[in-house]
Amino acid sequence: MKFGKRLKQQIEETFPTWRDQFLCYKELKKLIKLISSALPIAAEPTKYGKAEAEFVYMLNNEIDKFNTFFMEQEEDFIIRHKELQQRIKRVMDKWSSNGSRTEYNDEMAKIRKDVVDFHGEMVLLENYSNINFTDNGWEFVRLAKILKKYDKRTGGLLRLPFIQKVLKQPFFTTDLVSNLVKECENTIDEVLFPIEEDKEETKEQKGAIMVATEPVKGIFRNTVAALLTMEEIRRVSSTKDHFSLPPLNLSHSHLIHSFQLNSPIPIL
Amino acid sequence: MPSSFLALTSFKDKYSTSPSSFQVSSGREVMENSAPLQESSLAPSNGTLGNSSLSPSIVTDHMCASALPHVQHSHNPAFISQSSRDLASLPPLDASFSQSTASLIRTQGNKDVSWSLDRLQMFLDLPENTPAPNQLVESSTGVLASEDHNKKTNWQEWADDLINVVDPDWSKILDNTNVLNPRVEVPKPSGDISKQQPQFHQNQLVPHGEFSSHAYPSSTAPPTKPRMRWTPELHEAFLEAVNQLGGSERATPKGILKLMNVEGLTIYHVKSHLQKYRTARYMPETSEGTSEKRITSIEEMKSIDLKTSIGITEALRLQVEVQKQLHEQLEIQRNLQLRIEEQGRYLQMMFEKQKKVEDEKGGVPSSASDDLLAPLPGSKHPPCNNGKSDSEALEQDHSRTGIGPGNAGTNEDKSSSGVSTKQKMLETESTVHDESGFSVSKRARTEK
Repeated sequence: MKFGKRLKQQIEETFPTWRDQFLCYKELKKLIKLISSALPIAAEPTKYGKAEAEFVYMLNNEIDKFNTFFMEQEEDFIIRHKELQQRIKRVMDKWSSNGSRTEYNDEMAKIRKDVVDFHGEMVLLENYSNINFTDNGWEFVRLAKILKKYDKRTGGLLRLPFIQKVLKQPFFTTDLVSNLVKECENTIDEVLFPIEEDKEETKEQKGAIMVATEPVKGIFRNTVAALLTMEEIRRVSSTKDHFSLPPLNLSHSHLIHSFQLNSPIPIL
Repeated sequence: MPSSFLALTSFKDKYSTSPSSFQVSSGREVMENSAPLQESSLAPSNGTLGNSSLSPSIVTDHMCASALPHVQHSHNPAFISQSSRDLASLPPLDASFSQSTASLIRTQGNKDVSWSLDRLQMFLDLPENTPAPNQLVESSTGVLASEDHNKKTNWQEWADDLINVVDPDWSKILDNTNVLNPRVEVPKPSGDISKQQPQFHQNQLVPHGEFSSHAYPSSTAPPTKPRMRWTPELHEAFLEAVNQLGGSERATPKGILKLMNVEGLTIYHVKSHLQKYRTARYMPETSEGTSEKRITSIEEMKSIDLKTSIGITEALRLQVEVQKQLHEQLEIQRNLQLRIEEQGRYLQMMFEKQKKVEDEKGGVPSSASDDLLAPLPGSKHPPCNNGKSDSEALEQDHSRTGIGPGNAGTNEDKSSSGVSTKQKMLETESTVHDESGFSVSKRARTEK
């Protein structure tokens, strides 16, 4: 959960509108404490029941919040995706037949950047969904564990339907965004990036450019953070069991790590 | 805050026994499915509740039910019926495991479509392709007079008037009516079905904004209208309508709504979507309101010479690579999580079947389970009713790969044909869920 919090901080910095769109850890923590303190007092079933109900209610609220936010973003993505495609088409129709190579290049450069950023945003939304699912699930698992001590049946059974429900929520069913991402990737691969003749640029220079352009930096930084966090998590868990994910093998791994230096929030 | 506690207490008390109230048992759902439409005819009387009916939360459904008995049944079919159907339509687990989970979800989606169409045929004795203006009417018709065609014409006029007037209160009530009956829609010509179904599939899960805001004001900024989940196909239809009406500046929400003619789409949905569209068109690619930053970057780009602009392309390429990787990893993670939940669900089903058999035998639980377990081959394997080898292998996997302290205990218990094999199954499931289902965050936690 700690990792989710870190990413949350970083993303909220970059995208102010994403603030408060993550799980409200503090309040849930309070409730959990309340529940655990209420439980030993077997004589106060109402207090326990209240806290438990409150907790579940709160989680449900959180889910509602995620859903709303997610669907808003999704809607935006759909619109922007279409617009980008039309833009590309327009530019290609307009300039590629003419001789003016430079203008074509300029326009394409702009579009390229926009598409790449767009792609990045969508992926970050997927990441958001994943974090929330995991965190949400984790909060619930915590609750279930506490409850299990005092009521085995409730603890075990309460969790499963809830998680199944979460699985079906719009914010977790990211197929649509995933498809948009794939389409974007296709566009990028086929249309936007012609085969490069010479790649003389050094990596440091690339890094400098990345730092220079603000919006790019924001999205890129978040993506890097997300990947590194994932890598960290999975490095730890790789020894444990069959179900945990294998350690992450990032290409450009050293390069990605080097980008950390730009981040004000230390990741590792 | 205190008031919400009190409210919750009263709900809880009314709803008596705690554990079962949180369960979504299939038997119960089946019963409630049988008469949703008649009940939901009461819904229009209370506009606020219309939104609250679509809460995704099971608990809140029950809470709503206890406080507002006369619309009790209307709440449930929207969500619970879906989950019961999903449970029922779950393909055998070995098959699902050999496929990817993505295809599993698709299967369920298809079943949603066919189920709702069947349902529709049942309740409305209407022909497949009805002319467009009746669309909005049919759903109301379905609610109030299920098989009576005569009433339809009156409703038709009424509904047409509503659409033209766009009186907010009426529209809202109409929305709620539609929204409470997401499954009641006349199937349009096939091309539209695919775009409609997904939205309604999701439409059921929209938040009940108003209810939550009253009881718990702090966390959410509640939407007052049920949320529509837009799809690319729906957006295409939107664009067509806009273009027909002369572009995004000229087109009005009302006109668009009429042209699009999509079941359940309200003018509010169209309005907000149009607004987003206009923004996107005239400020292309403003990333999260950083338009100033964007201008800066363009200027920077222009001032950079050609050589460096190639560098930018390379940098972008790198960025895409990184993003692609993240995307890929997220997909993997998600599929894994889904599979794990699959497993857990399967185990849960097994457990319940077991319990049913045991209940039918009607003995003392412990002795009954002894009877059940004794003749089964290999006490190491938990009893599998359908005896599929894959599922047995699965459960073996569970006992082998459960993590931490729970693991050893579980294995030992399984090797002895004991009373609590069932319980151990449940515990294994929970353990696996707790541990490996969220292994990612668990590791994170241990890192603390």
